[in-house]
Amino acid sequence: MSNYNRPSQSTLRAEKDRNADYNTSLFRRMSWEGTVPLEIRVDPKELPANSDRGLECYFIQAPRISYLPLLVPEIKRFLMDVVFDETAAKSLKDEDWWFESEEGTLLKWHWSIGLLYDNHTISTSLRSPNPPSTSMSVPMRLILHLAAPPNDKLFLSSTIEACKQAFMNQLKEADFVRWGNTRRMVGLRKVDQDGLWEGIKDHNFDDFWRVASKLTPIASGTPSSRPTSPPPGSALSRPGTSDPTTQSDRDSAYSMRNVPIRMYLPDGPVLQELAPPILEDGMPNTLRDFISKHLQLLFPDRPPPPPPSRLNPNPQAPPPLEHAYILIQGVVCPPEAELGWLGACLVGADGWLNICVGITR
Amino acid sequence: MAEAIQPAIAEEVLNALDSYKQKDPTNKIIVRFKGVGNAPIMKQNMYKISAQNRFQAVIQFLRKELGWPAGDPLFLYINSTFSPAPDDTVLNLYKSFATESFLIVNYSTTPAWG
Repeated sequence: MSNYNRPSQSTLRAEKDRNADYNTSLFRRMSWEGTVPLEIRVDPKELPANSDRGLECYFIQAPRISYLPLLVPEIKRFLMDVVFDETAAKSLKDEDWWFESEEGTLLKWHWSIGLLYDNHTISTSLRSPNPPSTSMSVPMRLILHLAAPPNDKLFLSSTIEACKQAFMNQLKEADFVRWGNTRRMVGLRKVDQDGLWEGIKDHNFDDFWRVASKLTPIASGTPSSRPTSPPPGSALSRPGTSDPTTQSDRDSAYSMRNVPIRMYLPDGPVLQELAPPILEDGMPNTLRDFISKHLQLLFPDRPPPPPPSRLNPNPQAPPPLEHAYILIQGVVCPPEAELGWLGACLVGADGWLNICVGITR
Repeated sequence: MAEAIQPAIAEEVLNALDSYKQKDPTNKIIVRFKGVGNAPIMKQNMYKISAQNRFQAVIQFLRKELGWPAGDPLFLYINSTFSPAPDDTVLNLYKSFATESFLIVNYSTTPAWG
């Protein structure tokens, strides 16, 4: 039937856009739904008098996109109900509470819980030989202190309001990295700006992304694909388009000036570098390109193949030295992943793509 | 009980990690302060600040230069747009947000680009 003839250009275009939409929202949804197990224990030396010892440990499967100040009310309710003596608890002040990891790393109020967890994973990679497991997560052990917060090292106060301000500023900073201005962010109505934070607090994907999609580009519009791109139809395939007229009214990840990226190394530091989604040669900038440029000592270039010989006419390049791996949203990422795609699909709620570097043994 | 033998981390990897932690005290960034609204004006507004300093140190430096009382609010922004996280380094901010060869820091006594 004539209806089954080649689809028209506009049908193809619509399909590509639909695929890009599907990919973008699928990965955003998976990032949003990601959780990490936490084991929170009150420092035994700081337990108030007459506390019910033995119960002072609280387990929670916390959303990656959330923040510690948002967990405190729930943890407090548990401790008040089960552990603390009512009279002794009256002397406790919320603003004196703070967290550190079992290894003694201060846990910042303004880092998302997913980032705290991934940063802990890579720091542990220095000390433990076990590679990160994607199927079974080990709880991260947190120590809750009830007094004497080291405010100069925590940088921000523990209030939810301070956390919100830090979050909004991260969004603005990310907007500036992407486009060289913050017009998209400041163009939002006040109610929409507040709605972003409400979406985080209530863990409401639809509320959050209804606004955030005005700020975050989608994964369409790449100028060309590399031969290493996943085959079409695989879960990772990213439809490309070479026709600029297919651009919808939404921003394409590949037209950003730079992808907002921070690199986290085990036990520090945090590095920030400009990350254009497209290289000067017009090819998409991949994780491998980026990381081997800025962290060359950990991700050295692949050695060249040996010269062909009679015995080996088609020599293969030796495998790259695997000193380190990359963790994004708790997932070990293939080096072929394109920064533009990552910046649209695996970006954190605050607009930043957090690349955590772990050590391989 | 026998303990599992952990493969050692290659020395070159440990050296690599160390080298990324190295701080170069000679690397300085020119920071240009600009007062907003009724904020006090600085006679000198360009300073060389160590690239490895955290933004927190810039905030403290500016408060000291202005003689600003500890309890009074002072808001700092980059490029009249956003307030960076206080634990970000001056070097990171410079790499992403330098205008010409400066890092422009606006300061205000009230929220300016809230």
